Amino acid sequence: MFKIFIVEDDQRLAVLLQEYLQRFGYSTHIVQDFDRVKQEFEAAAPHLVLLDVNLPKYDGYYWCRQIRNLSTCPILFISAREGKMDQVMALENGGDDYITKPFDYDIVIAKIMSHLRRAYGTYAGGGGERSVNFDGLRLDKDRLYLSLNDERVELSLTEVKMLEELMQRGEEIVSRDRLLEKIWDDQTFVDDNTLNVYVTRVRKKLSALGIEDALQTVRGQGYRLVPRWEEKQ
Amino acid sequence: MKLFLKDQRPLFSFYILQLLTVSGVYWLDGYRNIAMVLYAALLSGCLLAVYLVFRYMSNRSFYRCLEQGEGLDAFKEVSPQTPLSEYLHRLLKKQYRHYVSELNRQQHKINHHLQFITQWVHQMKTPVSVIHLMVQDSDDSRSTAIGDEVDRLRKGLDLVLYTARLDSFSHDFVVEKLDLESLVRAAVSAQKRLFIRSKVFPQLEFTSKEPLFIATDEKWLTFVLTQILTNAVKYTANEPGTIAIRGYRKEDEAFLEIRDEGVGIPDSDLPRVFDAYFTGENGRNFRESTGMGLYLVKQICGQLGHRVELESAVGQGTLVRLIFRSEFSNLTKE
Repeated sequence: MFKIFIVEDDQRLAVLLQEYLQRFGYSTHIVQDFDRVKQEFEAAAPHLVLLDVNLPKYDGYYWCRQIRNLSTCPILFISAREGKMDQVMALENGGDDYITKPFDYDIVIAKIMSHLRRAYGTYAGGGGERSVNFDGLRLDKDRLYLSLNDERVELSLTEVKMLEELMQRGEEIVSRDRLLEKIWDDQTFVDDNTLNVYVTRVRKKLSALGIEDALQTVRGQGYRLVPRWEEKQ
Repeated sequence: MKLFLKDQRPLFSFYILQLLTVSGVYWLDGYRNIAMVLYAALLSGCLLAVYLVFRYMSNRSFYRCLEQGEGLDAFKEVSPQTPLSEYLHRLLKKQYRHYVSELNRQQHKINHHLQFITQWVHQMKTPVSVIHLMVQDSDDSRSTAIGDEVDRLRKGLDLVLYTARLDSFSHDFVVEKLDLESLVRAAVSAQKRLFIRSKVFPQLEFTSKEPLFIATDEKWLTFVLTQILTNAVKYTANEPGTIAIRGYRKEDEAFLEIRDEGVGIPDSDLPRVFDAYFTGENGRNFRESTGMGLYLVKQICGQLGHRVELESAVGQGTLVRLIFRSEFSNLTKE
């Protein structure tokens, strides 16, 4: 269980981050007293630090240097400033990475995981990110396959992204726009037709596992995954 | 010299008049020795000439400066020899100092203002970030609508930031050798929400076999591309629509064309699209437009050494072309 230390004076932002990180199985500590960041760090003994640059009293660079006297754990700066000099300053003061605001959850999580991997050598963050489970249906994001009981079927990366979103939402409807955003590919982008194509493909893959009518189209709203495979178990 | 002589014209006239008057008086009195009169005139003329030469020599530099019509700077060299020029010199010096200090004062004001704006924008980015996070995870129509508005807010903030930074461009840019295609892909992907939400999709076509390297600043060029892409989407009314992005090489230059099939720009507006605050016909018919987008594009490209061209036809669409001088692309020949 990894612990993340959040140094951010905007309380709401800190809480949002905390909630999101906890969903991924990380435990968190939000700094309360910005005079005693170093002491709180010692007491919390976290594995990774998210550090804002603009803080009351001393700035993020100062606290980074202070923390570096105690630990070599990964320190990720977050800041609204995206100038090159700001980033260089952050890194020269002991930081390991830099995230600019406004940021996407995806980026924060990806960077945190990447740095934890490098620092501690494992993926473990409480489980849940490498595979997705939905009522017995299991999606392996690393090895790209979908399995139900003992049967499995291979998936393309785009199909994995699509299923991940559908499965994480449970039975909720996922809008077309959101799915398109998730499957957006840097190489081929998407167009209006892309979604239909992939929905068809995913349905075929589900059929290969013997699952029919699970991926439903909700007219005017989007798609959802209904667990029709419980009867099989 | 010309100015000096021009200035002395009244003196000449009065001198001759006076000479004639005095001679006239003696003539009327009966004096008839013309040779003597002429001799006296000649002597008198020589005295005048000597006086004028002396006068000219002492004020030569002053007259020269005045004639050449140079700025206040030039007068600093002049050392005044006559009372008039000395006082004038003093006045000019005073004016110059006044003007320089006023300029400095204004420059200070501008710098303060710029600092304030930059600080403010960065502070605003935090609440925008908070809202963005709050709605990022939800998928209902309300959250996506708020997400759209947050995107617009963020773009507006960036617009202000980059406009403010334009003046101190030289402190703020770093030129590197970059692959045009990956830069464009990154800029396009960063706007994926915009494309998806508006149902106007990008299509990329880079025909060159080798990568197109250009010398540019990533941050500024990305901002330029974002402006062009946002415009292209904004003015495409039909959905689903396409934005065609082509990259190719011609001789020693790399070309990037972004074409939309939108409403186009009327001929009457075309010459002014790059002017600041110009919104034209389309600005009036479409949603709020600051008129700054293309102006910034032109300014930034100018600073980076890239050319910008725009072609458009009403009802057919608009094409924006960026031309990069690529001394680096010669390396791809290896």
